[in-house]
Amino acid sequence: MKIGIPRGMNYYNYYPFWHGFFTYLGIEPVLSSPTTKKTILRGSELVVPETCLPVKIFMGHVLDLIDNKGIDVIYVPSHQSIAHKIYNCSKIRGLPDLVRNVVKRNFLLIEPTLDKSEKKQGLYEYLYESVAPLGITDKKLIKKASKAGWEAQNNFNAMLVNGMEYNQAMKNAKNGKFINAVEDNREHPVNVAVISHGYNLYDNRISMGIFEKLEKLDVKTYIPENLSMEQMKKGFPVLNTTLYWANEYEMTGAAGYYLVDKNIDGIITLTSFGCGPDSIMIERITRFSKKYSKPLLNLTVDEHTGEAGFITRLEAFTDMLVRKKRENIIKSYSRQFGEEKKQTQPENQAAGF
Amino acid sequence: MNSKERIVSFPRMGNIHIPISAFLREMSANIILPQANSKQTLTIGARYSPEMICLPYKMNLGNYVQALEQGANTLLMFQAPGTCRLGSYAKMAENKLRELGYDFEMIVFDLYGGKFKEVMGKFSLATGNKSVTKAIAGVKICLAKFDALDKIERELLFIRPREKNFATAEKVYNKGKDLIDKARTPEEVKTAVNYTMTEFKQIYLDKSKEILKIYLTGEFFVLLDPYVNMDIEKELGKLGVEVDRQIMLSEWVGQSLIPGWLRKKETHKERAIRTSRRYMTRIVGGECVETLGDTVYAAKKKLDGVIHATPFNCIPEIISQCILPHVSLKESIPVISLLMDEHTGKVGMITRLEAFVDLMRRNKRKKQKGFAVAGPA
Repeated sequence: MKIGIPRGMNYYNYYPFWHGFFTYLGIEPVLSSPTTKKTILRGSELVVPETCLPVKIFMGHVLDLIDNKGIDVIYVPSHQSIAHKIYNCSKIRGLPDLVRNVVKRNFLLIEPTLDKSEKKQGLYEYLYESVAPLGITDKKLIKKASKAGWEAQNNFNAMLVNGMEYNQAMKNAKNGKFINAVEDNREHPVNVAVISHGYNLYDNRISMGIFEKLEKLDVKTYIPENLSMEQMKKGFPVLNTTLYWANEYEMTGAAGYYLVDKNIDGIITLTSFGCGPDSIMIERITRFSKKYSKPLLNLTVDEHTGEAGFITRLEAFTDMLVRKKRENIIKSYSRQFGEEKKQTQPENQAAGF
Repeated sequence: MNSKERIVSFPRMGNIHIPISAFLREMSANIILPQANSKQTLTIGARYSPEMICLPYKMNLGNYVQALEQGANTLLMFQAPGTCRLGSYAKMAENKLRELGYDFEMIVFDLYGGKFKEVMGKFSLATGNKSVTKAIAGVKICLAKFDALDKIERELLFIRPREKNFATAEKVYNKGKDLIDKARTPEEVKTAVNYTMTEFKQIYLDKSKEILKIYLTGEFFVLLDPYVNMDIEKELGKLGVEVDRQIMLSEWVGQSLIPGWLRKKETHKERAIRTSRRYMTRIVGGECVETLGDTVYAAKKKLDGVIHATPFNCIPEIISQCILPHVSLKESIPVISLLMDEHTGKVGMITRLEAFVDLMRRNKRKKQKGFAVAGPA
């Protein structure tokens, strides 16, 4: 038995769990091909233009699974609410309904709902709904499979917290392995935290390969997934807020944590144009980055974003960070040697411009 | 802050200020009403808002700034988590206004799950008046005014497309609105309504007019505020179109304040969930379910079309916008989505309305002549 999982939205955060879960039950998960220009084009045709880029891409992946891979069972979960009164963005909540209405093909849509607020539907009900349409109704078996899923997911999360690169961690988690990350001892001139939702960051079409680009600029990058849940929770009081959106940890929580982290020189946020929850979170992050005087670069992407402009902004930001860091080092030296202060500072400022 | 110095203000949305200020007056609070929503409000609001936030927030923020400039020091706002970005409005606005240097207190009503008692507690905090009898009197007049406003509004919606001399009904309605605003007791409200209704009866109706009937649905702020929706109902009335809509002030208040076991009638939301089940099985916040449910309902009632009005970039309404064409095909009813934001021009909107009305009229005539209606079945 095969089940098609579109490579979009929640895939980037929860795929190891689904992989472990379905494989245990003898169902083979089939992924759609990585996002291409064609995926975006075909997805955009189905929904109205103001829909955000990740959802358009998701639709493209559903089409890819049905048309190119010949899969007729598609798994589109709806994560309504992860805790009492903590809801997700409407587009994530209504994703299966959207797929059912706009994708005009013949396929079986598996649409489990995780809703801990109104319907009080927890993980096991969610998992039951995930496999019941495929004929698996043994609740004990499902519980066992969920353990297998958690094992993969926990391995994945632990590897990321250890600092492993995302794609490698995903690969290891799929193979059911846990490997300690190789310590990266190289010294980087600047450290930057890249903050966004998983479906923006790890889809190379959306993020334009931001990690390789920053690597080329000799920048060490940190991602929200490098943080543990406790660390992300610490980020909320920093931004003087509480959890409102279900997927706010990776934005507000991570940004809050990195804002006060002295090791981080700057923060880059990446949002897709028209993202509702992000419009609020980014505003808050921007306000507090001024307060903590941490350099911040907001990047907004949509299907028309050009790569050249993207690179220029990254380069300019990195240059600024390097210059700022150098200036700070010189300042701290001149503070130590009191007298020289007057001579070095004007020179450095001149060089800065 | 001493309760006696409190000067209360709240955001505007259509006629909602009439019942709310009646209630606050009954609780003997000082009120400052912000100016009616206008281009200026929107400009101020848009200046201090994040770029991608939705229109209602911009309007609310503009109202707050105007009210604070006039001397208000207590702002009221309601919120309901699990709806959409609305749940963060109050906090965001408070932070922004403090950043702008205003000194005020914000009282937020949490409407999650309809807690009538909690809301009343907050109101007495806002007004500094703990008298229960006054509160009951206040609620009575407040609800009476909600109902009265809806009653004359529905009458206006019926008469406007049919009247011989356009805008007579509008005048009567505005006068009635003033009378209701001035009324001090539920009895006076009743007299005002009766007076207005008799006035309405005297308007000369043109019976020969061919009246189209459409259903207006979408996001409630846009539907209820005539500035934001650019008087869409009036423009439709001019074109001879009768507007039906379920999103009314009293409906919305009843739905969010009165607990479920007290209601007798099926609420709008329950009806929408029932009718839209074929297309939407989940509640995703905002008025997404209502929009889809209303469209199916309108098709079942054999209305001529559906107009869907929504602010630009409203998260739940994007979903309904994506699904609506599908519903429109299946239920064979014409649907048009109109997006509103600070850049929307009125003339462009009227052109689209005219084209849409032409389409509906042609459909209707074809149906009457017995032709099969063109378009996908």
